[in-house]
Amino acid sequence: MITLGRIGRYGFLLLVAAVSLFPLMWMVLSAFKPGGDVIARPFAFDFDQLSWTNFREMGHTIPIGIGLRNTMIVVLVKGALTLLCCPMAGYAFAKFDFAFKRVLFGTVLTTLMLPTLVLLIPLLLEMSELGWVNTFPALILPGAVDAFGVFWMRQIIAEIPDELLDAARVDGAGELRIFRSIVLPVIRPGLAALGVLTFINIYNDFVWPVVAVNDTDHQTLQVMLSGLARAAVVGQLGDAASAWGQLLAASTVAAVPVLIVFVLLQRHLIRGVMAGSVKG
Amino acid sequence: MTTKRSRRRRSAVPYLFIAPFLVIFAAFGVYPMGFALQLSFTNWHGAGILKFTGLRNYRYLLTSPDFWGSLANSGIVWLLVVPVQVIVALAIAVVLMNSRFKGAFSAALIAPFVTPLVAMAQVWIIMFDTDFGAVNHVLGAVGLPPVGWLTTVAWAKPTVALLVLWRTTGYAVVLLMAGLQSIPPQVYEAAKLDGASAWRQFWSITLPLAMRTVSFVVVIGTLTVFQLFAEPYVLTRGAPFNSTRTAGLYLYNHITNSDLGLGAANSFLLVLMVFALSLASVRLLRPREGT
Repeated sequence: MITLGRIGRYGFLLLVAAVSLFPLMWMVLSAFKPGGDVIARPFAFDFDQLSWTNFREMGHTIPIGIGLRNTMIVVLVKGALTLLCCPMAGYAFAKFDFAFKRVLFGTVLTTLMLPTLVLLIPLLLEMSELGWVNTFPALILPGAVDAFGVFWMRQIIAEIPDELLDAARVDGAGELRIFRSIVLPVIRPGLAALGVLTFINIYNDFVWPVVAVNDTDHQTLQVMLSGLARAAVVGQLGDAASAWGQLLAASTVAAVPVLIVFVLLQRHLIRGVMAGSVKG
Repeated sequence: MTTKRSRRRRSAVPYLFIAPFLVIFAAFGVYPMGFALQLSFTNWHGAGILKFTGLRNYRYLLTSPDFWGSLANSGIVWLLVVPVQVIVALAIAVVLMNSRFKGAFSAALIAPFVTPLVAMAQVWIIMFDTDFGAVNHVLGAVGLPPVGWLTTVAWAKPTVALLVLWRTTGYAVVLLMAGLQSIPPQVYEAAKLDGASAWRQFWSITLPLAMRTVSFVVVIGTLTVFQLFAEPYVLTRGAPFNSTRTAGLYLYNHITNSDLGLGAANSFLLVLMVFALSLASVRLLRPREGT
């Protein structure tokens, strides 16, 4: 009876995991198949038939290397800004008194609840006023300080005992030194989780980049990908067989870096998601 | 208390720490928000001076069948996504809580959530294609006629909803597991001593105590569905016959039409709706007694 229940339970979990992973694996494997085969035999895999042809063709259609480079620039600079500004602001909110602190923190909490879509139009106008349409600053600065990140860092830093910080102050350490050599090391697990979440969010961001840039030199990977999809739909890539091969190859290129980061750091990510739910 | 006060004296230090955040937040968060509010009372199209038209945008939207149609589309997607997601995710979370390999299974479940949406939307286009897609291939193999998954009014919404479900259910599972973990094990031990069955334990302990997390999952789901943009944008662009023109996509159409004042008004109406819906679901799911 117990073993039967256990078989059922793990069978259920395996089924769920399979449903969850199947589209991803199918995408990666199909990207190496001849386009015609994806249509004629969607679930067959002849290992001697696999090739890089789709990737090569896709590389001729869109400059995916540039897309990858642009995404990396945005991820690195924007991610660094987030990981610098959020704990600093969190420290100020958690451990100091200053003018308008309550009002400011209230504002942060409010923006936490507002959909990003609200900012789309005014931000776009702001960018054109600044002459930033189709530039990296447009991709990097809006959204670089995430309200959730500030809120979360404040919660973690508030748990650091005041005595620890005071002891360092008595020893004559400056505030920047305290932040660097006490606060940051103590909150490292939370910071790691914030880092992974931030990487994934920025890497996959689509709504803002698709509005903010439209020239190839600044398009991120995701924007380029949706452009390729559009080209396929209106028939610019030839018949379905050749279009699909390219689409699958491009999707695979876009998905693999983030999946690698995820596999390496998933424990931090899951901890981050859980922390968000308990604190939020 | 007094020592605390004196230590937290006012100095320049906190301002230095908060300055980088404040500059970016003010310039690209607060300022555009105020600008959007102002725009929503104008008929601005992207050039020239702002001409105030009072509540005209709001009145136009609230009497526009297109606006309500987009909300109705999102509402139907909500019905297809959120209730199913809560039930499925709760079942998975409860089973997973008492199993081994928790880490590996949660990783497998949350993998779709981290993969780029645009990439997965393309895989959806390919798998659900009417003529050549893998799904219709399977249907054909068992003798069923092909279905126009993304091209018929009847199936387009469910196909979009399925993508949302597939991508976000793992995230809901992890959230729910965090909630279930906080239930003290003593409660279950006491119930076992009283001879309560596993089924009984679920209804009398797990579900009531997990209700806070469940309502959190519902709120996140509501936010996701009513802001849904990338999925219908890549999959259908709102077709067929605007049946997948969700609230988010309708809002985006104002931008491409340069109806910026109208778009701003639309976004604030959307915020109000999402806020009301979230509040309603939290109220509705609030545990009956205590907590």
